[in-house]
Amino acid sequence: MNRRKLIKSTASLVGLNMLPHGAWAKHPDGDQPILVVVELSGGNDGLNSVVPYADDAYYQARPTIGIKPQDLLSLDDHYGMNPGMLGLQRLWQDNNLAIVHGCGYERPSYSHFTSMAYWHTGVPHRGNEFGWLGRVADELAHERRDDMLVNIGSQQSLAVKSGHHTPLVFDDPSRFQRSRWMGNELGEQGGDDTPGSPNHTYLTNVDRSAQVSAARIRQAWDGYKTDIDYGVAPMDLPKVAACIDAGMDTQLYHVSFRNNSFDTHVQQPALHRRLLSYACDGIHGFIKDLEKRGHAQRVAVLVFSEFGRRVPENANLGTDHGSANVMFVAGHPVAGGHFGKAPSLTELVDGDNLAYTTDFRQVYATLIEDWLGVQSANVLGQPFDRLGLFS
Amino acid sequence: MNQLNWLSRLSIAVCMGVTALNAAAELDLRNIESEVWSELHARHLASRAGFGANSEEMERLARMSPKKAVASFYPTGRTKLEPFPHSGIFDEGLDPFPPSRPATTALAKQQGHALGVQVKPAGNRPLQGVVNKFFYWLRASRLETDRVTYWWAEKMLNSQAPLQEKMALFWHGHFATNEDKVRDYRKMLVQLQLFRGEGLGDFDELLHRVAKDPAMLVFLDAGVNTKDSPNENFAREIMELFTMGVGHYTERDVQEAARAFTGWNVDQMQFKVVSADHDGDEKAFLGERGRFAGEDVIDIIMQRPATHQHIAAKLYRYFVNEDLDDADVPQLGRFFAEHDFNIGDYLQGLFLSRDFYQPVNVGSRIKGPVELVISTYRQMELADVPGVPDFNVVSGSLGQRLLHPPTVAGWSRGRSWITPSLLFERGNFVLDVLFPDIGFVPPDRYPFTGEVVNVQDRLRQGMSISAATKPTGVAGAMSASNMLADRDEDFNTRLGSMRGWQMAIERVVPIPRDTVQLSLYSQITRHELATPEEVVDFWQEQYFSVRLQKSDKAALANRLREELGTSDIQSASSYAEEGLRKVLHLMLSLPEYQLG
Repeated sequence: MNRRKLIKSTASLVGLNMLPHGAWAKHPDGDQPILVVVELSGGNDGLNSVVPYADDAYYQARPTIGIKPQDLLSLDDHYGMNPGMLGLQRLWQDNNLAIVHGCGYERPSYSHFTSMAYWHTGVPHRGNEFGWLGRVADELAHERRDDMLVNIGSQQSLAVKSGHHTPLVFDDPSRFQRSRWMGNELGEQGGDDTPGSPNHTYLTNVDRSAQVSAARIRQAWDGYKTDIDYGVAPMDLPKVAACIDAGMDTQLYHVSFRNNSFDTHVQQPALHRRLLSYACDGIHGFIKDLEKRGHAQRVAVLVFSEFGRRVPENANLGTDHGSANVMFVAGHPVAGGHFGKAPSLTELVDGDNLAYTTDFRQVYATLIEDWLGVQSANVLGQPFDRLGLFS
Repeated sequence: MNQLNWLSRLSIAVCMGVTALNAAAELDLRNIESEVWSELHARHLASRAGFGANSEEMERLARMSPKKAVASFYPTGRTKLEPFPHSGIFDEGLDPFPPSRPATTALAKQQGHALGVQVKPAGNRPLQGVVNKFFYWLRASRLETDRVTYWWAEKMLNSQAPLQEKMALFWHGHFATNEDKVRDYRKMLVQLQLFRGEGLGDFDELLHRVAKDPAMLVFLDAGVNTKDSPNENFAREIMELFTMGVGHYTERDVQEAARAFTGWNVDQMQFKVVSADHDGDEKAFLGERGRFAGEDVIDIIMQRPATHQHIAAKLYRYFVNEDLDDADVPQLGRFFAEHDFNIGDYLQGLFLSRDFYQPVNVGSRIKGPVELVISTYRQMELADVPGVPDFNVVSGSLGQRLLHPPTVAGWSRGRSWITPSLLFERGNFVLDVLFPDIGFVPPDRYPFTGEVVNVQDRLRQGMSISAATKPTGVAGAMSASNMLADRDEDFNTRLGSMRGWQMAIERVVPIPRDTVQLSLYSQITRHELATPEEVVDFWQEQYFSVRLQKSDKAALANRLREELGTSDIQSASSYAEEGLRKVLHLMLSLPEYQLG
């Protein structure tokens, strides 16, 4: 059965959220659902991203860097978006964007690296050896596979670290190959199994996995061309589109806006607007690209950051590390709208910080269970109330 | 030839190690006995305290006493740091450099000039000169930073005191500062010289100096930390990353420390305290109260055992073994204290300890990218760092572009250096050295943002500035970032970007682009190697810290025999170089080569 026909028929009959868990996974001949996670590193200022312009407290807390109503991209009678977020505003207008308010966790850490590790593992304060996406992959496939997780970046994210699978990590697909000078090759390696150090074993495993998968990634990238405007810094999303379009079986992708870029302690407004325009242009371009290629129905995009920023601005036209934040889930299968309760801007906690209203793992659980069709408690160690993000 | 047979010595060492190992978890930090000192120990020391050694150097080290061998990695006395040969790209008016292009043009509109350039009183695009200068400095500072790292790489390759450079590399990753944000190669250079000069001294002194270092102050926004609104960035990172680590202080301590650092600022290249911005009131910090200044906060942090342990353990993980048992950390903290928190003395203690030479610590470490590159060059006995491939491009594609660490936490270490694609890159690096790319384009002469070259071409074709700077080939909705680029008529950003490149390339001195100068064949002859098997054995000793599988070695030797068409290397002298290089590339692409 053709995948798109399948979507149309099931959607029109019952609606995807009414199907039992794993609605997608149960159709082995259909394409599997895909989750693309986009990380905005450095702590994106959610309050200057989705601006509650109808709330006076916002302008009181941010007399200088607060964005005036007339400069905002309009959403509704309470919220507007940062003028850099044209890409997400377009998705909102198409009903393809869920904004989840007040996402955070108990006793938040204000350290980039600690908090990011909590988000990567989905286990605040305790952590886990493996990442949440890595554990999802382990649930999806118990047998080792070389294409379960794709992580585009210069280094492997903790989020994709998996018990069974070696994540496919690369930065530049065209360089993802071992140069075989004039067919120079050693042939099959590793006859006598000498026990080596843990690092030795690790190197050998990575080497094997890399040999298998690199060619596929390279072919995917070589065969990809687009005329969609992804903006000037689309965070590797065109590479994800290339992999999907090439028909790779990967269901889990991780990309990031790298290098702590969103850490806007000083001179925030122009910088933040620019960063957001790059990120949102990239996400919008990605969805449009998928639409054009006929994959948009099976891709959901999650956007997160390790924390939001403090409610009051500081004296340097910037903001310091904060707590609760907005998350975004974008894509055709997503029900557009506001989710979660927006935190109060006046009843602050922990020295001028937002009190979280939505555990970020509720969003994870929703994606794991309602989108990927895996029992979320198996991955997250406990059940969470899910949000109706998929309609 | 001097066939070492160090593998059998390794197994002897394994036995010694097992007997020497105490039953308890305590690390055996007693001094190693002179009698057991061997070339095996020398190799290990050279790979950790320096950037590896060739066979002659290893023989020389093995003949010394352990103490003398370790001392040979240290600088002797107060060696003066050689000055860096500047291109001369700095102009008056460029410091302080505004934080962004919008901030620069806003400043120019407000005061009639910026960056030492006047606003044109009449005519089209009056701010263009200012915008050009803005992009000039961005590019020029970045390119000059690449010259600084080249210069540093030469020091690593040829230093008589390699530990000095290795330590600078360590501290650069510890007190990580990125030129992308600092935007001034001069400040990056001053910081590097601090790490090179003081990196083996007292940690206390180093920490105080780093806290007042211009690049660090800019990088962590310390310069804008005022009493009316303390900025926590610097206060947080000094505790979390530079000294104690998370869990040893509260959010309140961060806020109180930030108050103590208020007013710390930088004027051009000089640290200064702006007393009007300093909060002189009482602070409560880590259980103590007083009218603390920044120095007091550092002194209090320095008293903490958590600081001693954090630094001692991080040094151990870097130089000895990444997999350090948490239970052993307090012992290392005390060992650091016994050496009065002097970094060089503490490391000497480690390098002389029995623990350092335990088999579990030998050949078990994944080399960092810069170590891999420099040690490969050292073991190839190169006199200079080649200009092709570009050192910065190579180290960057392996994941460690110097003076551009990814975040304030520096580079992650150990296994995170290795991903599937990075493992390939490591083999490809060896190929790029042995068979230089004839399509090489020098990155200090050719813009990494290709669009500015298109702009230049369109201008040369006679197009108007507006038409030439429009992005091309876009279908459907245009993105916000592309629409934004040209919304101000007073100047054109893309034109400025192009002119900035042209001006930068004119003034930054080019990096020499020599390819590798190497004769593997003469090295083979010098060591009187006759057969492919002997060559592979020799390379195993010269380049590897772990034993290769017998089958791999046999395959390599066979491969070399095929390439040469004979087992008699000497008879192939006129054409052997090509085959030797091909097999060395294969050999150094093995996963085992990543271990040191």
